[in-house]
Amino acid sequence: MARRYDSRTTIFSPEGRLYQVEYAMEAISHAGVAVGILGTDGIVLAAEKKITSKLLEPGSSEKMYKVADHIACAVAGITADANILVNSARLSAQRHNFQYQEDIPVEQLLQSICDIKQGYTQYGGLRPFGVSFLFAGWDEHHGFQLYQSDPSGNYGGWKATAIGANNQSAQSILKQDYKADLTLSDAVGLAVKVLSKTMDSTTLTGEKLEVAVLYRENDEVVYRLLRDAEVDKKITELDLATPAEST
Amino acid sequence: MAGKNCVGIASDRRYGQYQTTIATDAQKIWKIHDKLYIGLSGLATDVQTFIEKLKFRITLYQLREERDIKPSCFAQLVSTMLYEKRFGPYFVEPVIAGLEGPNNEPYLCAMDLLGCTSTAKGFVVGGTPSEQLYGV
Repeated sequence: MARRYDSRTTIFSPEGRLYQVEYAMEAISHAGVAVGILGTDGIVLAAEKKITSKLLEPGSSEKMYKVADHIACAVAGITADANILVNSARLSAQRHNFQYQEDIPVEQLLQSICDIKQGYTQYGGLRPFGVSFLFAGWDEHHGFQLYQSDPSGNYGGWKATAIGANNQSAQSILKQDYKADLTLSDAVGLAVKVLSKTMDSTTLTGEKLEVAVLYRENDEVVYRLLRDAEVDKKITELDLATPAEST
Repeated sequence: MAGKNCVGIASDRRYGQYQTTIATDAQKIWKIHDKLYIGLSGLATDVQTFIEKLKFRITLYQLREERDIKPSCFAQLVSTMLYEKRFGPYFVEPVIAGLEGPNNEPYLCAMDLLGCTSTAKGFVVGGTPSEQLYGV
């Protein structure tokens, strides 16, 4: 029944749904999970790497991207689609910077990306982007901010959230364990713990994760991808290496 | 000017209009990254705009390539950007100094306002008194 209303992105179904947008979100639910947590002194973005082959050239990231000096993002979904939007985000940030000689406020950048995503649900007859983002950034107006955006072009500000596979279980763990006074270091620990509980793989190592932090030092925003060894250290500290007893 | 595995770059700090000096703290040299500097002399408004456009391009380069731009590559970028305005140019004369490659080889390059590059080993100059700076 729904099939008759699938083929064009730019029309509603009789029940008032946009099927192509929903199908895009379905695609994302198969992608590696990404978690974001807002700490008092920084933000952590942690993600599960789906492609972990020994043959893979190290150094390039499939989940984390720096968008500007003060904004970074984690991706869940079709990487090729994500690349287009990350590039748009980078250009948008630089255009703002060129025009106003200031860092683009995080929410403004979000809006410009989300407006692009929304356009693909209303105009052109092209499919929507199969990507959800977690954007982490700092600006002088609102401090540290964490945002989530989806293929429909909706976005929201969060204290802690997750996208990708098993994001509901990740979100429920975050709901229980998130506290408002988490430091960045605590947040990293919580993020790794949440990933260990929601990832399908049995053993957890730094190789399978990408963990990035965004914080301020000497009046400048710093974005850093943790090295595998640092992530492994956090895993051992929290004693997450061995799989939990299954019920 | 180049030394052994090092380069130096210097400029005056005057901003004036004809004979009137308006400022004595003008910035004419910018750091692109740890091993690359550019000096821009000429019409102040074009210097300002051109460096802002350069920062735009360099930031994107760094984000996409995840590395610092090579001095020779940067010089080519500057040259291309200037030539794009061949029939309505930016009135700037860039001087580029950097260290290139694993051995930190000095890289020096000067350009005219249309982007014609001249690379040299010892020293490069730019600006109104460039003839006097050459010393010929």
